[in-house]
Amino acid sequence: MNARSTSWLARAERWGRWFEGALLTLLLSGLILLASTQILLRNVFSSGLAWGDGLVRLMVLWLALLGAVAASRENKQIRIDLLSRSLSGMWQRVAWFTTDLFTAIVTGLLAWHSWRFVQDSRLYGDMLLDDWPAWGFQLILPLGFLLICYRYVLRAVREALGRRQ
Amino acid sequence: MILTGLILLVLALLGAPLFAIIAASAMAGFYRSDIDLSVMGIEFFGLAEMPILVAIPLFTFAGFVLSESQSPQRLVRLSQALLGWLPGGLAIVCLATCALFTAFTGASGVTIIALGALFYPALTRAGYDERFSLGLITTSGSLGLLFAPSLPLILYGVVAAASIDQLFIAGIFPGLLMVVLLSVYSFWMNRRNRTSIADASGKDVLAALWESVWELPLPIVVLGGIYSGYFAVSEAAAVTALYVMFVEILVRREIPWREVPGIMRESMVLVGAIFMILGVSLASTNYMIYAGVPEQLFAIVDSYVAGPGSFLFALIIFLLILGAILDIFSAIVLVVPLVLPVAAQYGINPIHLGIVFLATMELGYLTPPVGLNLFISSFRFERSIAEIYRATLPFFVVLLVCVFIIAYWPALSLVLIG
Repeated sequence: MNARSTSWLARAERWGRWFEGALLTLLLSGLILLASTQILLRNVFSSGLAWGDGLVRLMVLWLALLGAVAASRENKQIRIDLLSRSLSGMWQRVAWFTTDLFTAIVTGLLAWHSWRFVQDSRLYGDMLLDDWPAWGFQLILPLGFLLICYRYVLRAVREALGRRQ
Repeated sequence: MILTGLILLVLALLGAPLFAIIAASAMAGFYRSDIDLSVMGIEFFGLAEMPILVAIPLFTFAGFVLSESQSPQRLVRLSQALLGWLPGGLAIVCLATCALFTAFTGASGVTIIALGALFYPALTRAGYDERFSLGLITTSGSLGLLFAPSLPLILYGVVAAASIDQLFIAGIFPGLLMVVLLSVYSFWMNRRNRTSIADASGKDVLAALWESVWELPLPIVVLGGIYSGYFAVSEAAAVTALYVMFVEILVRREIPWREVPGIMRESMVLVGAIFMILGVSLASTNYMIYAGVPEQLFAIVDSYVAGPGSFLFALIIFLLILGAILDIFSAIVLVVPLVLPVAAQYGINPIHLGIVFLATMELGYLTPPVGLNLFISSFRFERSIAEIYRATLPFFVVLLVCVFIIAYWPALSLVLIG
């Protein structure tokens, strides 16, 4: 990679991280507020927003995927990792490269097949929260998996080039 | 099929993320059965169809805020004022405080970091043996797992489709049994060191109570609300998150606003990692049920196991081994759907099964090679894993005794839910 493309990547990386953090903060704050409002309405005024509970659940899904994207960025996905610690230098890098490439392929497949799921849902005109098209909410699945895939491709490339992050 | 399994096992041992392993095995299974792989998206979207899941990000975030604030210090001072007059009281203070704190922070290892740093110097200063103190703190890091509103309890309820309210109640006595037996052991080990750390003083108790006046309503509102049935679990989680933010950020101002996004992000990283595994395992579980794996498993187990008693014994041994290599969240998500139908064949109550499962997995935090508490203690107190492991061994044995009592005395878990 030449210097220009690396600096471009680094900038995308910074922006990506910032955007990810902002979205997580916004979603979690919204979740806390919406869930609390529902309780207040239910217990004090015996009413509630009809779409409130459905939206809360969708926000949890978005938080889950965005959180997973952040976890991949920070290499904090849950793993067992019994063997690679006992490997030395070269072999350890081979192990890292293999597992990262494997993860990239799996998440790539997940992204592709959930994209097909979203397309189907759009085709059938599935609705959520009364009259909102479901595919808009479901879009986070292929998007999230794709971002995780990108993360592992990047890691695999870096290992192949001998640069462990 | 066996080859695929072997390759996936090697990849898992080499450190591939577990969610990728689970997703790959589910996709391989669906592909062989000619089922369209867009089912992976459909199953993962199931995360948005479980109302109870909202409790997990909310409680996790509240736990992260609490451990970033000064609440751990206040909790320690309060329990010292309340229990410090007991001979050998500090060890008991440590056990009780950690259990309460772990229940609220989700057993993610944060207890050792937040409270261990306070207790370790206090214990050694009070004349406790160094090895004993290390073992005590490392063990306390996951104590309280059976008390509401701990994350593993909620997750078990989600996966087993069991009543979380009942699980919260069922965990009380088994959780207390662990605290009491560990206290008895600590007391016995330190019977020569009977100096109490504080005199019983009403003034001190009042001062400590006043200091914690904002945190005190929390267990009362949350636990009281849930146990009395006034709040649903997810509602209690929302109230907790909102209240904790209000107190630690607005009232006490121990956490500046600019740090809140960072804490939110950090807590959602944990939630994302757990939900990723949960999401893909919704698919893999469905495939396994489709392929009849629970029935096959039951047939195999049944040829070796004579009845509920020996089944529970085999389960505990299996979970001890599993707990040594798998964290509690992945174990719940992966193993519960398989074990539950088998246990039902032996007439084991799913609530009781959950308590046995979690109590045994609690030991997994203390078993090498991957026991989380061992690593955190080793890192925090700068000792080798082997040294920490030796220090925790006697506590491990006490907890193992607890696990067997919990397994073979179902009434202990079930008496309160009738």
